[in-house]
Amino acid sequence: MSKKGKISLSEDELILALRNKDKIAMEALYDMYSASLFGVISRIIADSTIAEDVLQESFVKIWHSFSSYDAEKGRLFTWMVNIARNLSIDKTRSKDFKNNIKNQDIENNVTIIDEQNSSVYKPELMGVRELTEKLKPEQKLILDLIYFKGYTHVEASEELGIPLGTIKTRLRLAIIELRKYFN
Amino acid sequence: MNSENILIKVEDIKAYIESGILELYVLGDLNHRERTEVENMLVKYPELKAELNLIEEALALYAEKTAIEAPGYMRDRIIGSIEKDIRDNSDNITGNETDDKKVISHKQFNFYKYAFAACLILLLVSTYLLYSLNGKLQQSNAQIASLQTEKQQFAKTVSFKNGELEVFQDASFKFLNLQGTGKVPNAKLTIAWSPVKRKVWIDLKSIQMPINDKSHQYQLWAIVKGKPIDLGVFDKTADTTKDMKEMKPIELADTFAVTLEPQGGSAVPTMDQMMVIGKF
Repeated sequence: MSKKGKISLSEDELILALRNKDKIAMEALYDMYSASLFGVISRIIADSTIAEDVLQESFVKIWHSFSSYDAEKGRLFTWMVNIARNLSIDKTRSKDFKNNIKNQDIENNVTIIDEQNSSVYKPELMGVRELTEKLKPEQKLILDLIYFKGYTHVEASEELGIPLGTIKTRLRLAIIELRKYFN
Repeated sequence: MNSENILIKVEDIKAYIESGILELYVLGDLNHRERTEVENMLVKYPELKAELNLIEEALALYAEKTAIEAPGYMRDRIIGSIEKDIRDNSDNITGNETDDKKVISHKQFNFYKYAFAACLILLLVSTYLLYSLNGKLQQSNAQIASLQTEKQQFAKTVSFKNGELEVFQDASFKFLNLQGTGKVPNAKLTIAWSPVKRKVWIDLKSIQMPINDKSHQYQLWAIVKGKPIDLGVFDKTADTTKDMKEMKPIELADTFAVTLEPQGGSAVPTMDQMMVIGKF
C-alpha cells in the first residue's frame, strides 16, 4: 500500500515527457492518474475485469493520441478523464456488455462502489462521505450522473424529468461545493 | 465610458460563467460548435480561463477523492502493452518498407529459381526419354527390317522349294548324271531338265568337283546341234548345300557340259577346262 517507487511529475514535466514519448512519462502517467481514472471507470462499469480492460484501453488511447491534447484548452486530467469516460460509456453501449451485464440502478451502483471503497479502502478515501454530506442529494445525483455515468445534461434532464436550466444550475452548484470543500 | 464598458463586460462574463457552460465544457458535454465557442472565449477572457481552471481542479480532486486503486498487476500489464506498441511501431518505421521489398524480391527470386530448376529437370527428363524412345524405335525398325528380310527370304525359299518340288513332281523333268572327263575323272553333277517347261536345274548337293577360286566359276553349257549355249554359272563352295539351282532355260539340247571359266563365265567354252559332260 506504500507509494514507494511511484513516479510523480508536475503536469508541465509530464506533458513534456509525454510529447517526447519517454518511458518515464508512461510510468508517471499511470502512477499519478490510474486510480482516479479507474474510480471513474469502475463507477460506470461494475464488472472489475471489464473495468480493467477499459483502463488499459484508456491508457493506450491517451498514449497514442497525446498529440491531439492541447494544453490551451484544458488540463491534462480533464482530457484524460473524458477519454476514459467515453471509452467506458462506449463499452456499456456495446452489444456484448448489454448481453453480459444486467443494468443496475445508477444511484445504487455508485453507492455500492463507494460503500465498498469505504470498507475496503483506506484513510485517504475517508473524506468521501464527509464530502458528499456537503453536497445536497439532488446536487450529488446530477454530478454523479454526468461525471461518473457519462450522461449528457440533456439525458439527465430527461431521466430525472427536470428542466435543462435546473440541471445546469444544480451541476454548477455541486461543483462550487466541491471547490469550497477542497479550498 | 471606459469604466461602463468594463462593467458591462464583467457582467456578461459573469452571466456566461453562471450559465454553467464551463462545467459542461469540462465534462465533455458540449457539441462541436459550442465547444469551439467556449475555446474562443477562453482565449479572449482570462477570467474565464481562471474559472475553468478552478472547475477542472475541483473535479480532478473529486476524482482523486473517489479514486479506486487498480489491482497491482495492472501497472505492468498496461505499461508493458504500451511498450510493446512502441517497439512494434519503431520496428515498423525503421524496417518495414525495405523489408517488404526484400521479402517480395526474395520471394520472386525464389520463384524463378525453382521455376528454372523445374524447367531444367523437365528438359533432362524429356531428352532422356527422347533418346531412349528413339533407340527403341530404331531397334524396332531394325527388327521390322530383319523380319521383312526373313519374310522375303522365307517367301523366296518357299517359292524356290516349290520350284525344286516341281522338279520331282513334274514327269516332264528328266535327270541326267554328268560324268567326269579326263581332267577330273571322278567329277559328278546331276541336272534336271524339262524340255516342255524349258527349265534346267542343277543339284548342288550332288556336285563332286573341286572348289573353285574367286577368279573362276563353273559354267553350264547345252550343246544344241554341235553349238554350245550358255546356261549360266555356279560355284562349288566349301559348305555343303542341299539346294538345287535353276539355270537359264533351254528347249532343245542333246548334251550338257560344265567347264571352268573366268569369273562371270565366257561366251565360248574353254574346252580343255571341261569338268563333266552327259548326254540324253
